Amino acid sequence: MAPRLTNRQTEDNDAVIPLRFGDDPLLWASWLYYEEGLTQGAIAEQMGVSRPSVNAYLADARSRGIVNIDIAPDMFRTLTISVALRDHFNLQDCLVIPTHGDERSLIDRLGGAGAKVLARNLRSGDTLAVTWGRTVLSMADQISHPGLKDVRVVQATGGTTAQIPWTPEACASHLAKALNARAIPISAPAIVSSAKMREMLVRESVLAEQLGILAEADRIVMGISSLRPESTIHTSGFLEGGMQHSHYQDAVGSLTGRFISARGEPVIGPMHERTIGLGLDQLRAIPQRIAIAGGMDKVAAILAALRGGYVSILVTDIATGRGILNAEGYHDTTQRPTAQPDRALRPRTHVKKLINNPKDAVDETLRGAVLAHEHLIAPVPGSKRAIRAIDGPKPGKVAIVIGGGAGHEPAFWGYVGAGMADAAVVGNTFASPPPDPIIAATRAVDGGAGVLYIYGNFSGDVMNFGMAAEIMEAEGVKVRSIITTDDVASSPRETRSARRGVAGTVFTFKIAGAAAARMLPLETCEALAKHTNARTYTMGLALEPSSLPETRQPSFELGPDDMEIGVGVHGEPGVERRSVELADTCADLLLDRVLEEMPATEGDEVALLVNSLGSIPNSELYIVLRRVRQRLKARGIGVHCSYVGSYYTSLDMVGMSLSVLHLDSEIKSLLEHPCRSVVFSS
Amino acid sequence: MTSIPNASQAAIIQDLADVIVANKAWLSEIDGKIGDGDHGSNMAKGFSRAADRIAGQDITLDAGLLVLSDVLMSEIGGSMGPLYGLMFADMAGAMQGHDRIDADLFSAALNAGLQAVQGVGNAKVGDKTLVDALAPAVAAFDAAMANGFAAALDDMAHAAEAGRDSTIDLVAKIGRSSRLGERSRGVLDAGATSCCLILTSLGQSVRTRLS
Repeated sequence: MAPRLTNRQTEDNDAVIPLRFGDDPLLWASWLYYEEGLTQGAIAEQMGVSRPSVNAYLADARSRGIVNIDIAPDMFRTLTISVALRDHFNLQDCLVIPTHGDERSLIDRLGGAGAKVLARNLRSGDTLAVTWGRTVLSMADQISHPGLKDVRVVQATGGTTAQIPWTPEACASHLAKALNARAIPISAPAIVSSAKMREMLVRESVLAEQLGILAEADRIVMGISSLRPESTIHTSGFLEGGMQHSHYQDAVGSLTGRFISARGEPVIGPMHERTIGLGLDQLRAIPQRIAIAGGMDKVAAILAALRGGYVSILVTDIATGRGILNAEGYHDTTQRPTAQPDRALRPRTHVKKLINNPKDAVDETLRGAVLAHEHLIAPVPGSKRAIRAIDGPKPGKVAIVIGGGAGHEPAFWGYVGAGMADAAVVGNTFASPPPDPIIAATRAVDGGAGVLYIYGNFSGDVMNFGMAAEIMEAEGVKVRSIITTDDVASSPRETRSARRGVAGTVFTFKIAGAAAARMLPLETCEALAKHTNARTYTMGLALEPSSLPETRQPSFELGPDDMEIGVGVHGEPGVERRSVELADTCADLLLDRVLEEMPATEGDEVALLVNSLGSIPNSELYIVLRRVRQRLKARGIGVHCSYVGSYYTSLDMVGMSLSVLHLDSEIKSLLEHPCRSVVFSS
Repeated sequence: MTSIPNASQAAIIQDLADVIVANKAWLSEIDGKIGDGDHGSNMAKGFSRAADRIAGQDITLDAGLLVLSDVLMSEIGGSMGPLYGLMFADMAGAMQGHDRIDADLFSAALNAGLQAVQGVGNAKVGDKTLVDALAPAVAAFDAAMANGFAAALDDMAHAAEAGRDSTIDLVAKIGRSSRLGERSRGVLDAGATSCCLILTSLGQSVRTRLS
């Protein structure tokens, strides 16, 4: 819609502003320039003013915020320096700005760039920690992000001398005000007179509460200080007196008031026990750590911070960035982006996912799971991939530790709780956890009566749980391992021990959990779990493949009318491909394979699990269950219970599996034993 | 020269990581045909983390291999974590304490690595695993040692490539793809492919330093 303009000009060339622009010539000029694409000369003619006036109008319009010129961080990121920094230091992101630009100081321009980066990353509900210094204050004074809700801005350290304008309090309060957030101070000095004083202060409830909020930070935005005399760390009153220097001669920089060496290692000196605020280990544990720092004097300090892994997003300038890279022996010509496979022919280039950074997906899932079920499960301290039951360990009870790759949710943490497993360990997506978290889980739940590991038969799990078992045995903990093999499709009957362990494994979790809850000895629990596994049969099928968060590509290709029979739970193809059949035909196909092997006679009872592999609607699972029940009834086999839903998934695979547990009186009684976990509860 | 110094060889590990990272997409693509398609990203993650960890350090080749082993074993998991983790650990063990690495010591390291893989994984040649690249490469190196270190490294690389290519015609007998039976025939094994990359990169690095 073009504004009507020219015919409104009067004889004496005194233009009338069209109504839509009110009486605002700035808005009118901006519209013509940015929306209509007219030259400044043409605008001058239309508006009846001189060209310099138009120029002034446009500059005014920018400064008054009528026009926002955003330079997208994406464009900056393409600069080779930022890409090289990001790749070399394994950063989440990196923004490099020109070292020389407009009349603003480097600090202000870094502050402006930092404000853009923070605004991009900040989310409603975040707890944001903030340090202090010139750059940080400049960032706080330039940020604008309307529309955020429930943000908390917390000081990363106690307060400093008021002789500088960029104190921790000022930085936090300016930032909180700009973000319409709640400001949480740290009501103590950053440096106190003695370690004893610190001990006393941190026990004060007000300060303890504030430090508790600091420990919940989702992000931190921070400066990096060099150790030169005019640096923030000096002017803030740290390092007072010449004698301090001898303790800090290895230090090249400072973060959150702590000192680091050229290799990024903490330098512990006399100030350490007297500092109130975020420690370096705590800093590294914050999921997103945005550092804003530049200037050649800071190259060593920034490099040290990068080497130490304290930074996940870096905002700096080209000269500093190049200095850092040169110090690392980087040469512009050696880094070439690796070729991506050509996917141009596919109508879609990737599977849609509701994730953030793919590399965070597993940890973020676990964090959410633990929060959703905090009354049942909690992480094992120091090991975020190991989850234990809230109550436990119970002295004298056999402990059950289960696990495998991620991507099978609600497996494996869904089977942790009273009467179920005591701990679950999760690896990367579809990859076994390494021995370390398995060992941490084992130690956390060992009640002195031995530990039973239960996991599916996959080479990675067998190796890693096997190594963990060896290490625990060497520590004197008795460990037995049950490797489940319920997947009928994966190997012939004669080589049953080579079969995969899939959804039917949850029956083994349940029975072993009940046996342990009844305080049966390790050998008995082991025998019962083995017995259950031997009587469990699973067959699966997929209509569509799954896709990994990292690749976002289908893990195999299925034709428009094909389905895959005998799929596993890792997106690997199945054993046979055929045309999609009616639900009843599919149910028969799966059940017939199970009945071929299960020596059930009339009058026997089974437990059923009709399990979603991730993305099939529940309605279709019930259609299949109905058919399975019809068939079993016709054969005279009783169904003691039917579980229908997501029990052991394969990310977003559209598919299902049928597991049948051939009951006997002992298994049936253990199946009914009370339990309380996310998935099974009775 | 007939040997290289053990000291100050962090760059060998960096080069190795670069090769794995550069082939990330290819490895995942191969893995996706009969596996879950994450071999490339898992390997790239492990190797680049190890490279980051030793960045700027002046360390021996065995110390570098040990860092690589630690990262693979403690952070990557899956089956490749222990397999390559133990392989590198035992290779490092063979080199530890030696000032120079000659053909005899390199052979000892290769054999130690092969034994470690076979000890934890139970795979034999022909099972369509990384052993199909590793075992013939080690044998070729040993057989050619009489012709000099450089010649032995060349033969090792050729044998690794031939071993990798041999997996195309094999049916997987072990690991996740073994459940596919005949359907696993016709594609490369991802583990053999990454193992071949590792051996050729290591071989190339050592060879450059010999001349």
